Amino acid sequence: MSQSLRPYLQAVRSSLTAALCLSNFASQTAERHNVPEVEARTSPEVLLTPLTVARNENERVLIEPSINSIRISIKIKQADEIEHILVHKFTRFLTQRAESFFILRRKPIKGYDISFLITNFHTEEMLKHKLVDFIIQFMEEVDKEISEMKLFLNARARFVAESFLTPFD
Amino acid sequence: MSIIREHTQATLSDAWRTIDIDALDPDSPANFDTATLHTALPDISEADVRQLTAQVRQLLRGGDAEGALRGCLETPVYATNTGTPAAVAAAAENGSGNELAREAALQTVVEVLQSIKASEMTPMLQRIYGSPGGSECLDVLMKYLYKGMAATSASAGGSGPRTPTRMTPQPTGFSQIGPRPGAATESTGAAMSVLLSWHEKVVEVAGLGCIGRVMTDWRRV
Amino acid sequence: MAPPEVHHLFHNPIADHSFSADRNTLAIARDTTVELYGRAGNAFKLQDELKGHDKTVTSLDIAPNSGRIVSCSQDRNALVWEPTPQGYKPTLVLLRINRAATFVRWSPSETKFAVGSGDRLIAVCYFEQENDWWVSKHLKKPIRSTVTTLAWHPNSVLLAAGSTDAHARVFSSFIKGVDARPDPTAWGERLPFNTVCGEYLNNSAGWVHSVAFSPSGDALAFAAHDSSITVVYPSAPEQPPKAVISINTQLLPFMSLIWNGEAEIIAAGHGCEPYRFNGGIEGWQLSGALEAKALGGSGDQREESALNMFRQMDLKGKVKDDTQLKTTHQNTVTTIRAYETAGDAVRKFSSSGVDGRVVIWNV
Repeated sequence: MSQSLRPYLQAVRSSLTAALCLSNFASQTAERHNVPEVEARTSPEVLLTPLTVARNENERVLIEPSINSIRISIKIKQADEIEHILVHKFTRFLTQRAESFFILRRKPIKGYDISFLITNFHTEEMLKHKLVDFIIQFMEEVDKEISEMKLFLNARARFVAESFLTPFD
Repeated sequence: MSIIREHTQATLSDAWRTIDIDALDPDSPANFDTATLHTALPDISEADVRQLTAQVRQLLRGGDAEGALRGCLETPVYATNTGTPAAVAAAAENGSGNELAREAALQTVVEVLQSIKASEMTPMLQRIYGSPGGSECLDVLMKYLYKGMAATSASAGGSGPRTPTRMTPQPTGFSQIGPRPGAATESTGAAMSVLLSWHEKVVEVAGLGCIGRVMTDWRRV
Repeated sequence: MAPPEVHHLFHNPIADHSFSADRNTLAIARDTTVELYGRAGNAFKLQDELKGHDKTVTSLDIAPNSGRIVSCSQDRNALVWEPTPQGYKPTLVLLRINRAATFVRWSPSETKFAVGSGDRLIAVCYFEQENDWWVSKHLKKPIRSTVTTLAWHPNSVLLAAGSTDAHARVFSSFIKGVDARPDPTAWGERLPFNTVCGEYLNNSAGWVHSVAFSPSGDALAFAAHDSSITVVYPSAPEQPPKAVISINTQLLPFMSLIWNGEAEIIAAGHGCEPYRFNGGIEGWQLSGALEAKALGGSGDQREESALNMFRQMDLKGKVKDDTQLKTTHQNTVTTIRAYETAGDAVRKFSSSGVDGRVVIWNV
């Protein structure tokens, strides 16, 4: 656990709590529709200034708030190519099952690895502070998960290499 | 030639299908004039910012960190690129706007923030918050903190390759040769952690409302 | 101070609530229906469901004297529910809007009501005898975005509106033949329909969530998404206001506010609890939360190991794991209304929220 993780998560937590003030808002462009404004982008006045919280250039969170929805995009730490592959596979696994995760967006925003879309219907059904907790927990778990996978992969690669090379020595 | 084929051939070339008709209707919600969401903004040129920076540095050298911080927060340089989407696009095209001045102002604020010791942050923020107009000052500070985090990560992500391929001579990535992966990020990491600890202290003093105002305010730094 | 009276009706959001004049009937906007609850002892029991809308009902209001209920919905319609011996009979209102209806309130005279809409206009509706239906006139200029909230001046002519273009405005909704000529006020003297008597914008903008006139009608308060409350004191028609006081709070944005006399405002919103503001023309300040935080006492505190506590603090930046908020409302408060008044002062007020609770508070 590095020194700057706590302030980073704290900053994400407070930014999310402030951004998750959503209300039911029907579309101004399409009649009888109620769409997430942050995705539709049809009325500039209901979109708010996006916030970026960054720990370093490889780890950052983009929060795009609007009146009835917010979009949270996370860039997961990728120190080398294996981690890059692992993050890609991992996020792909999750996004393919997006319907079971409710707030997960099927496609991440450009420049980020995974995106969440929280609408007012989610905050009505679920507790707001628990949604925030979920994102925070995801952020810390995913780092752990990736490094664990990397260790496992290395161990396995070593084992495979060994068993391949044994008959020839 | 069948009528269907004739018809498709006629329409295939037609680009009119992709025209965004909402953009052409001045009454459309898409053409909301965002300049109406804030009062008139002062026009601060890059030269003004440089002058201000010099004053702020003077104060910093004199040991008046609080005065320096207040100095830069009281004259924020706001983005002038608001208006209807068409106007914003036009401004972006001909390069008008005060990008350079804003960049310089951000540098000054970050410089001041980095020169203040961690133990002095909270008392200083409380003094500023308690003074008249202090709440606005902290709102501006918060805007700079978010901008600082966005700017540093964006410039770093833009200049270098996104995937650190240069570190691994072999495409498989199993090699451990090359510089330590984290080394490049350390300097930005340090700058970020200053901003992050300031962020935490500002939230403690000015509350979540302060973050809310960063989001709602169209006077963007 | 007596504890607040809490009615947890269901687990759906309550968009709006309204009590009848005798406070025995409670109308709730739940999803696409209007539900009527009757008081039975200490509880409220479901009595009737008014089904007529096919999209989310966004707002409703009971006229205290006539007992008529007006409701509006995202399906672009408003209905007036007339009480008859056979139950409530709906009448469709000719709103002539093409987007969601967002907010509705009866004027104090009960001869008119105003409907805010996503069509960037306000429909002021009145009953036309000869055609036997409710017709509307539109307040259009200079609204540039969805109207989120409305409030009537005591004289039933002036109408305050807040919208997502971050402006709070005061309009005249004078309709010939329905309204008597109003006395001149600080807002304006001659008031033809669609006169804009005032237009106010906060420094840090933010959608306006709630507006309210003070009991005398000589001050206007509005709450915006920048967590602020602004109070405007007009001086004279066509003149800049005497004072515009903005209080930027440290809290989350407020969704609804009411006046308690001329020197107190009660507001609640995303912070899930009501707060009190005190002041006057010389300045306003936040006095604190209305709710005594006794819920998080010793009985509620769960045993937790020190290790776990430090771990939580380190990992998530928070001290303890909790699923329940310490406030009575467990989610955003969307509407607060005066429940019991004595003259201009509010003795009790009711609040409803996204958590499906209606709470009656003692001031």
